[in-house]
Amino acid sequence: MESHAAYKSRWLPWVLLSPTFIILLLFLYYPTLRTFELSLYRVAFLGLRKKFVGLANYKVLFTNPDYLHIFWNTAVFAFFVVMGSMAVGLALSVLANQKVSGWRIYRILLIWPYALSPAVAGVIFLFLFNEQSGIVNYLLKVTIGIAPGWLTQPALAMALIIFAAVWKNVGYNVVFYIAGLQNLPGEVLEAALIDGASPWQRFWKITFPLLSPMTFFLLIINTIYAFFETFPFVDLLTQGGPNGATNILIFNIYRDGFRFWKTGMAAAESVVLFIGVVILTVLQFRLGEGRIHYGG
Amino acid sequence: MKRLATILGLSVLMSFSFAAQKIQITFWHAFGGGRTAFIQRMVDDFNYTHPGIQVKAEYKGSYRDTLNAAILAAKQGNAPHIVQIFEVGSQMAIDSGIFVPIEDYVPASLKFQLDDYIKPVANYYRIKGKFNSIPWNSSNPILYYNKDIFKKAGLDPNNPPKTFSEVTKACEKIIASKAAPKCITWPLHSWFVEQWVAEQGALLANNENGRAARATDVYINSEAMKRIMKWWKGLYDKGYYAYTGKPEDWDGANQLFVSQQAAMEITSTSDVTFHQNAAYENGYHLGTGFLPVPDGIERNGTVVGGASLWLTKGHPQKEQEAALTFLLWFTNTENMVRWHKGTGYFPVLNTSVKVLDWQHWFTRNPAYKAAFDQLLQSKANRATQGALIGPFPEIRTIIENMVQEIFQGEDIAKALAKADAKADQALKDYNASVAK
Repeated sequence: MESHAAYKSRWLPWVLLSPTFIILLLFLYYPTLRTFELSLYRVAFLGLRKKFVGLANYKVLFTNPDYLHIFWNTAVFAFFVVMGSMAVGLALSVLANQKVSGWRIYRILLIWPYALSPAVAGVIFLFLFNEQSGIVNYLLKVTIGIAPGWLTQPALAMALIIFAAVWKNVGYNVVFYIAGLQNLPGEVLEAALIDGASPWQRFWKITFPLLSPMTFFLLIINTIYAFFETFPFVDLLTQGGPNGATNILIFNIYRDGFRFWKTGMAAAESVVLFIGVVILTVLQFRLGEGRIHYGG
Repeated sequence: MKRLATILGLSVLMSFSFAAQKIQITFWHAFGGGRTAFIQRMVDDFNYTHPGIQVKAEYKGSYRDTLNAAILAAKQGNAPHIVQIFEVGSQMAIDSGIFVPIEDYVPASLKFQLDDYIKPVANYYRIKGKFNSIPWNSSNPILYYNKDIFKKAGLDPNNPPKTFSEVTKACEKIIASKAAPKCITWPLHSWFVEQWVAEQGALLANNENGRAARATDVYINSEAMKRIMKWWKGLYDKGYYAYTGKPEDWDGANQLFVSQQAAMEITSTSDVTFHQNAAYENGYHLGTGFLPVPDGIERNGTVVGGASLWLTKGHPQKEQEAALTFLLWFTNTENMVRWHKGTGYFPVLNTSVKVLDWQHWFTRNPAYKAAFDQLLQSKANRATQGALIGPFPEIRTIIENMVQEIFQGEDIAKALAKADAKADQALKDYNASVAK
């Protein structure tokens, strides 16, 4: 076969690929399968004893109001984080893409937050938004005389962790959007300019559709970020409080699994999260098909 | 050159064989920062004075991480010899089945050391009449207060509030006089609630706090709990009570007090050393007092908090004996004195207290005195013995969520009833999961 032209031997490619496959098998596929299996058991802490219970864990997940609350929180959180970080990322990229003096500095400053680890970002936000001794409340008190309870009011606490998660990920979106903007075919925009299209029209009718492959890619990446990588913000800022108002699934999995030692429940939650993200990704591919313009 | 290489090689070989003769003991603990270094110095002293034994102390993260790591290691047949486990993990440690009941293994000649523990500590760690582990770091909550702010507010700086209503009255004066922006803080942690339940002589779980038999019912919906929540909610509503918004935020509470945003703080006695230094550095005078209790009740006492040292199963007899030798050395009279002075944790042996008295330690360091007197005045009964509940970490979160729910305006009786049902369910699930 032609495709084997580079390698004389049939199995050499497999040998070369094997390290990757072994790592995937050991650290990804095997644990995933074990998680599916564990979710059907009631496990005494850390697997010391376990008993098959069928779908009982899932039944608790979908009937207990506390867990339903967590699902709702997760949906709200993920929606606003994805929308927020992509919209802000796009807006900033368009601005940073303009030829203004000092553009290099603007771009570096925009990308900077992404280089911080989420744990560091979480601690910074904790210092900023501490109700009694944070800088934000100090300034607010001096200027307009209010001191909101950022971490004690459920809605504010949720808004704060969304803000922190958006702030952290905007830089990533900016990098990709700027790259996308710079690769746009100049002649199309030029033609529009000559035809007298307003900047607003040029953006929504030409730039945005031409960026759609990038938007689609970022949509999936941001969705994964919102569901899986936002744990440190909740852990450091709110611990899921006040009264579970910021408890999102990824944090609760950790808490159930490693603090409350309910391994079976944590496994069932992982499976639900896994399936949820798979469904979302498939939906995004389905809905995206035909609407995305891959420029030639 | 060749000769030198031979000598070097031989000496390396010799040192290996020498090391091999030593019995290796691993000891996992949960103390980071300066305490890691303090423990290491004590371990080095042990290794120096016991040439046949080599103890290796390792910091394993939080209490929870340490227990997780120990159980996982035991499952893989690779358990450390000694593990530090927090007091509320006691029931879980017993259920895990990876530890030996230590009292059965203490040689008769050293049994005296077990009888030397001060009563409240022995009271907590003797489970069904037997020490399952060696008590080590023990603490209580006490009241810390800023004497300068008290003076500014026109309060007696040598007479801290002793009851709930006295706290509220002091707060009225402090806030009205603008001596401090907030009156009092403590971490939003279930531990304080548990202490106030014990102070009222009430229980947290059935079967005599889970001490007579496995607990099957958690008592959150109780009169004792109602009294606590009513007072706490009142302080919160009037803006007297401050917290950072994050549950279990010990550092945040300390920060509020040290930065003089709050006039009083209730927190662990293990922070006495920290607070003395902080007061000195920030230039205010520190006072300490007993934990304020509900009005109209007789002060029953506090529950010992902290952690103890457990010995794991399945090691050769020689290693087990060596580990026990280390444990009993590590917690002997003089080392407990050293530990207390270095950290602020209680000296939990009667003889250590005598040594400290003889050195006039408590008269020279009055901040430690309130802490210690409170512990010694605790009555020994089921309430101050503390509850043994398997899923204690989860029940703590349930209680903390309940407190925040009440702050947000939920009716106290309703919130208590809801939390009670949740806690009972958690306990039921846990008990079913460990049933043989």
